[in-house]
Amino acid sequence: MLRLILFIDTMKKLLLTITVLYFSFLSFSQSIEFEKDNFPGKKDEMKAARKLLDIGTEFYLQGRKEFDDFKKSYMSEHRYCPVSHYDYQKAGYQNFRDALSPLSTAQAFNPNNARLNYMLGFISFITDPTTPQTLKYFETAYKLDPLAEPDMAFWLAWSYHLNSRWDDAIKYYQIYLQAGKKNAMEAEDVNKKIAECNSGKKFSANPERVFVDNLGTAINSSFPEYGPSISADEETIIFTARRDNSTGAKRDENDNGYFEDVYSSVKLNGKWQPSKQLSKNVNTENHDAAAGLSSDGSKLYVYRHSGKDGGDLYESVLFGADWEEPVHMNKYINTKYHESSVSLSFDGKRLYFVSDKESGLGDRDIYYSDMDVKGEWGVSKNIGPIVNTKYGDEAVFMHPDGVTLYFSSKGHNTMGGYDIFKTTLVNGVWSAPENLGYPINGPDDDVFFVVSGSGSRAYFASSKTGGFGEKDLYKITFLGPEKHPLLNTQDQLMAMAANPVSNLKVENAVEVASAKLTILKGVVTDAKTTQPLESSIDLIDNDKNIVLATFKSNSSSGKYLVTLPSGKNYGIAVKRDGYLFHSENFNIPDNAAFQEFTKDVALKKIEIGSTIVLRNIFFDFDKATIRPESANELERLIKLLNDNPTLKIELGSHTDSKGSDDYNMKLSDSRSKSVVDYLIAKGINTSRLVAKGYGETKPIDTNETDDGRQNNRRTEFKILEK
Amino acid sequence: MKHNYYLAFLVFLMFTARSQDTVKVASNLTPEQLAEQDYNSGLAALKKNECAAAVELFNKSLLAKPNFDKALANRAIAYIHLKKHSEALSDINSAIKLNPQNPEFYFNKSLIFYDLSQTDSQAVALDNCLRINPAHAEGCYYKGIALYGSAEYDKSVEFFTKAITANPNYVYAYNDRASAKRAKADYAGAIADYEKAISLDASLVFIHNNLGSAYRLNKNYAKAIEAYTKALQANPNYLVALNNRGSANFENNNLKAAQSDFEDVLKKDPKNSFAYNNLSSIAIKNKDYKKAKDMANRSIESDPKNGPAYYNRGIARQMLREEADCCNDWKKAYELGVSNAKTFINASCLD
Repeated sequence: MLRLILFIDTMKKLLLTITVLYFSFLSFSQSIEFEKDNFPGKKDEMKAARKLLDIGTEFYLQGRKEFDDFKKSYMSEHRYCPVSHYDYQKAGYQNFRDALSPLSTAQAFNPNNARLNYMLGFISFITDPTTPQTLKYFETAYKLDPLAEPDMAFWLAWSYHLNSRWDDAIKYYQIYLQAGKKNAMEAEDVNKKIAECNSGKKFSANPERVFVDNLGTAINSSFPEYGPSISADEETIIFTARRDNSTGAKRDENDNGYFEDVYSSVKLNGKWQPSKQLSKNVNTENHDAAAGLSSDGSKLYVYRHSGKDGGDLYESVLFGADWEEPVHMNKYINTKYHESSVSLSFDGKRLYFVSDKESGLGDRDIYYSDMDVKGEWGVSKNIGPIVNTKYGDEAVFMHPDGVTLYFSSKGHNTMGGYDIFKTTLVNGVWSAPENLGYPINGPDDDVFFVVSGSGSRAYFASSKTGGFGEKDLYKITFLGPEKHPLLNTQDQLMAMAANPVSNLKVENAVEVASAKLTILKGVVTDAKTTQPLESSIDLIDNDKNIVLATFKSNSSSGKYLVTLPSGKNYGIAVKRDGYLFHSENFNIPDNAAFQEFTKDVALKKIEIGSTIVLRNIFFDFDKATIRPESANELERLIKLLNDNPTLKIELGSHTDSKGSDDYNMKLSDSRSKSVVDYLIAKGINTSRLVAKGYGETKPIDTNETDDGRQNNRRTEFKILEK
Repeated sequence: MKHNYYLAFLVFLMFTARSQDTVKVASNLTPEQLAEQDYNSGLAALKKNECAAAVELFNKSLLAKPNFDKALANRAIAYIHLKKHSEALSDINSAIKLNPQNPEFYFNKSLIFYDLSQTDSQAVALDNCLRINPAHAEGCYYKGIALYGSAEYDKSVEFFTKAITANPNYVYAYNDRASAKRAKADYAGAIADYEKAISLDASLVFIHNNLGSAYRLNKNYAKAIEAYTKALQANPNYLVALNNRGSANFENNNLKAAQSDFEDVLKKDPKNSFAYNNLSSIAIKNKDYKKAKDMANRSIESDPKNGPAYYNRGIARQMLREEADCCNDWKKAYELGVSNAKTFINASCLD
């Protein structure tokens, strides 16, 4: 009985397919073959065209064989069909290129041959599938004879797909599926593409509200620009370009394009300055591509492909105005496989990268490695199946907020090829990746997406029309949910109240998530000479008393940039040998929105009379008990005293003007003594320390505001003898 | 508007402030009787809103009878009308000293503080009034207003209800209880109270208007438009209702009717800031951001403190790519009390 039902079901499907094809066929024009009867009076022209057709067809078939062999090998290696047209890597391209001219000439003579149009459509697809010409060839071929090639409907469908004609694409994918038996991998591929079209339909029906702006001629050129990396404050952009001025000015014979070089540009008065190639430390005559930039803009990751391996990652450090020679990353990062795309956590302690090594969950996967106590990258770990898929996962970008990871994937609910996704780390678990939607993503590959520290802008590369040529870099400005206008309405709600006018809310505002992040930046200088100084900047978690990360200010400009995710009480210590350290305190509540502070630091040399405010010494309220979160600051002070054994210092404590003079004097006296006692307990000789309470007698700020009072409540040390 | 309110307040005082009753005068006039006669004349002047004359007469009365608590209380009322609040306070305090158990004195004192916007002192005086007479209708009513002002809507409803219990025909108490219910998002309750108030006095256009707004909040736009139209039938120059009817049409997606209403407002009041801003809202909805900006500009020109106009101009400017200006507008809107502008500032303007 079951067999009978299955048989009837199969017959029904077959009958339906035959009927569809029959009626479709009736509605098509007739394909015109290259035969003399079809071209009366044009015998010689027909002969010449026929000859060109034969030549072109021969090249095409050779190219097609290479293409099919490549696909077969890909499927055998990956266990699924190529997902993106880029996956075919222009297989057979040389032969297709040779076929193009004779076939085009033949087509000019006879534009109504189905197979010829199919071949031209195919060649055009391999060259650039999104051109209108590609779709036109396939549409013509299908109209002339849908059965001219068995996979005609598939390529027509994919062309529609890449042109965001979702319904047309679904229709022809389904026709292709029904028109004959497919192996499991092919059926999976077509069904995946149908699902991608359904995602595309869904996302494009509710487009994200964004402005997309070309970054302009300072950044873009007629050559390809891609792979942008941006510093957290959006003042520096680093990217890859393949321009005619690339180092060595040589072309890669594989695709005839110039070799990649890394370029950078800085923003001045809100405008990008003309981009410049990085020095020969970074750029060689081979491919050198930007793979990532640390959020403080001090470390650059470069992708290089030497030919011995699948492509490796290198790290370069900004020293002064120049990038140092990139250093090959260790064995836990680089393997014999392809490693690309790097992103560093805000504290520089975790490195996310992409590799297609064998241990992965599929094609390319995202991995991470933690820095060990020696400052070396440790054994890498796969980020896991919530994020990684069996298809390619690429272009990782960890936002400096420390919890949001952006990446590109051909899996999940992509609209086609790579789409950009976002996932958030909540209690150690990644959330389900979320497609960033249309028009950020489309049916073609969307990769290399980096987000500004504020989260309100992003940068990416695209070949969209209207650019300066090939791929260009674009900026996305997120507009957030649609903003509904506010009406003025009036009511006299209280008959006798004096407030007859009220502005009513028409609709509640939508919450746009804002980045929970603070950017601290500035310039470190010598207090006397005002010359920029290279210094190390410790970022301390005061609650846990641990140094989270150490940054460096630039040796030539003195500039530094530190990103501070919300929810911590941070201590900042700026240090340099021969100078007194400078400390700052930032208590950033968990709900603090994005903010940017500029704090220039003038380091004082160790000289008699120099004073320093110790911002990270905390006392219990109204008491002289030192709080545990002061430990790091005190340890720094102890180190300074140990490193400079002849120093004699005064520990001065100050209060604000709240409370009586007497009380404040007593409190400050006790507090300065507490600090001195602490230092003595830690082995500092009593003779080197003087405790002094100043009460409210030496304010450094107003006592009229909370901020001013907070500045006035402080512990200082002064060098008495050197 | 403040002027209108003040007139209404004076009228209210005439009827609600407890002016003291006429005193019977004997034929052979003693100094005390003369004082009472002057007092009566003063009261008559007060009722005719001849406040300066009333003060003179009460002065005479008090010269003859310095401890005349009623004369002191009524002179206080005359002083309120004359905007002499310190004199009014001094008189009412003297009256209270002479007769501390008279709830009306405390009530009048509360009104002086009300007019001075001294809410804490007003509350103390009202509490004293209600301590002596918990069913004091006007006392309960003003207590309800004070609680409404401090966003204590449940308690506010409770006191308006007490006022209605004390005076079942208290139109304003119904209106105000409706507004307190509306603040609690009890729109059905609000509508019932506004309708009851209208049934007691259908001539009060502002209650029709309030009813329309309650229907709008309840998303019943047809009934809202009907209520606003009734207000306009009672007073065709009541532009508040015309603007609000436009808003109801806007929210009902009838932009053509909304535009017509707002334009009609401008025909009668060419500088009506609200109407310009509402036309800006229509332009935003139509994605005509240039026009939206222009209309918001006019609105701000007419009223530089119109927060929603800055808010709307910010939206238009964002879409016109005037990013810095749009942020300034949202910041200004936020300063002027448009709280949801903060969301936009956080999303787009913090860097």
